[in-house]
Amino acid sequence: MVTGELVSQSIVNGLLLGGIYAVAALGLSLVFGIMDIVNLAHGHMLMVGAYVAILLFAATGITPLLGMFLAIGLLFALGIVLQKVLLKHVVGEGIEQPIIVLFGLALILQNIGQLVLGGDARTADLGIPGSGIDLGFVFLSLPRTVTFVVAVLLIVSTWAFLQYTRTGQAIRATAQNRTAAKHMGIDTDRIYVITLGIGTALAGAAGALLSMLFPIDPYIGWSYLLKAFAVVVLGGVGSILGTLVGGVVLGVSENLGALYLGGGYRNVVSLLIFLGVLLLKPEGLFGSGGDGE
Amino acid sequence: MSLLQRHPEQSLLRNRRLQGIVAAAVVVLALVPLTTTDSLTGLILTGLVFVMLGVSWNLLAGYAGQISLGHAAFFGMGAYVAAWLTTPGAAGFPAAIQLPILVAVVVGGLAAALIALVIGPVIFRLSGHYFAIGTLALAAVIELVMLDQRSLTGGSTGYYVQGDLSVGGILSHGDVMFFLTLVATVATIAVTYRIIEGSGGLAMQAIHDDEAAASSLGVNPLKYKMYAFVVSSFFAGVAGALYGHYTLYINPASTLAVTWTIDALVVVILGGMGTFAGPVLGAGLFLLLDTGLAAIVGSVATTIEGTLIILFIIFLPQGLYGLAEDYLITDVADSEDPPSDTVSGDEAVDTEPGVTPDEE
Repeated sequence: MVTGELVSQSIVNGLLLGGIYAVAALGLSLVFGIMDIVNLAHGHMLMVGAYVAILLFAATGITPLLGMFLAIGLLFALGIVLQKVLLKHVVGEGIEQPIIVLFGLALILQNIGQLVLGGDARTADLGIPGSGIDLGFVFLSLPRTVTFVVAVLLIVSTWAFLQYTRTGQAIRATAQNRTAAKHMGIDTDRIYVITLGIGTALAGAAGALLSMLFPIDPYIGWSYLLKAFAVVVLGGVGSILGTLVGGVVLGVSENLGALYLGGGYRNVVSLLIFLGVLLLKPEGLFGSGGDGE
Repeated sequence: MSLLQRHPEQSLLRNRRLQGIVAAAVVVLALVPLTTTDSLTGLILTGLVFVMLGVSWNLLAGYAGQISLGHAAFFGMGAYVAAWLTTPGAAGFPAAIQLPILVAVVVGGLAAALIALVIGPVIFRLSGHYFAIGTLALAAVIELVMLDQRSLTGGSTGYYVQGDLSVGGILSHGDVMFFLTLVATVATIAVTYRIIEGSGGLAMQAIHDDEAAASSLGVNPLKYKMYAFVVSSFFAGVAGALYGHYTLYINPASTLAVTWTIDALVVVILGGMGTFAGPVLGAGLFLLLDTGLAAIVGSVATTIEGTLIILFIIFLPQGLYGLAEDYLITDVADSEDPPSDTVSGDEAVDTEPGVTPDEE
């Protein structure tokens, strides 16, 4: 029986989950908007980030909230190596080559995940599932609330970085016009390296946050890639605020879909919303349009 | 890159020596079930399925330039529709609709083609990255919905498919399925070859090279993308139907999962994207890797496959075909192709669409 309380609880849970989706999507969106490649391995990088946090927690008891910084560091490094070693050969060569290279990378990451960790789902298991604040109408679970706040902080930090630092300004200039930026003395190759680093680091951060809420297995990559891309499409490529709104919309609609149609349809709902928006308004519901190209 | 440079093998397939080699290869393959063990027959059948997947995906991606990441959906739907028709009881359908395997396989392919026909006009509103991700999402939706429809699919446990095509004590069911798959593979290659050789193939390549330019020259992009998509989906569906009826077992994970998309992609990349013989060579190498590597390095095989895709696409974008062309085919080629024009490797700079006078 679907009660009003269940509905409001689903909405709140979805909203809180949406923050993490937005973090994952922001990484994908930055890389897409600036380098014009879709990181097909983004979901798999999220999986790696989650496992970094889980393994660190299992070995030392360090909370994934701190483990997240390790995940960010490792994935930033992975992004830099990826750009410097592989993608520099194929970026700007049309869409086929980057897509296939990243597809191959996704395959590798998934296989490594399987080998190292086995196929079973794992979670950081903080042992505080019951704690939270009961507001009467809804229950604010502590892990969900904390991860949401951290997610928003990550998004604000990224925004501030892009807005106020010289590197951030150079990144935005490159996004607007690659050639002009180059002529103005911006080292666009370096910008690409940094952008991919930040994009993959955000995937790692999102993974670490998710590991506190859900079981993680080596096969979640494709599913989270699609979720992140759905948010990008909902929010519009390059729009940070749109990404946050898109993440929340996706989280809420998934939860409501699961409530009304059954748990098996959680992902179907988000995929259908995604395909619908993609087909009707590919520049995004909140997209400015101009940044997508 | 000009069309003729990318397809120097077109005239080669008219070469008598090459025709002989192809005919001999088919005869040798036809002897496989009669002379080898069941497991080897099954292995080579899987290789033929890879060829069908690779050749069909290559038509859409390599020639028409539409990087679909949803090929598995058509493979899986072909497999399921055929299974419903040979084994209606398991999915709750009346026994009256039961059909022989051969018919069910064709209907499975047609069903996959029909799905492509219906969703094509919608999904082709997307292009480039959006098309790739859109097809990935579409395949994921189909997989999730099928997984949830337990009565139709048996849920994650799947169900056993009926079928016994064994001939007396001479040929087992698997042997007969092998012959069917061989015939279907030859048909896939022949039909795809005809399309690529014909004006449709030229139109697809023109769309691939520059859709706007092709459109301005009077090529209807949607029409030819649909052509490639529907034909490609038909053969993927037939491949799925054959595979399901060879293994006699079907579930969403084994037929609809992204794995089959990955396989198609690996086969084509290893062989050489947008080359005709590429997927056939690629399927051979992939089969060796998949079984050989698995025996030697165990579960690291997938990592090595992923690494090979990356290395091939960066350093050997023409794949095995490119290698073979450099070392073997220049030797077979007659004077039709000036050798200076057929040097592979680097993409030629000539992107002018005005090469049409050279077409036959």
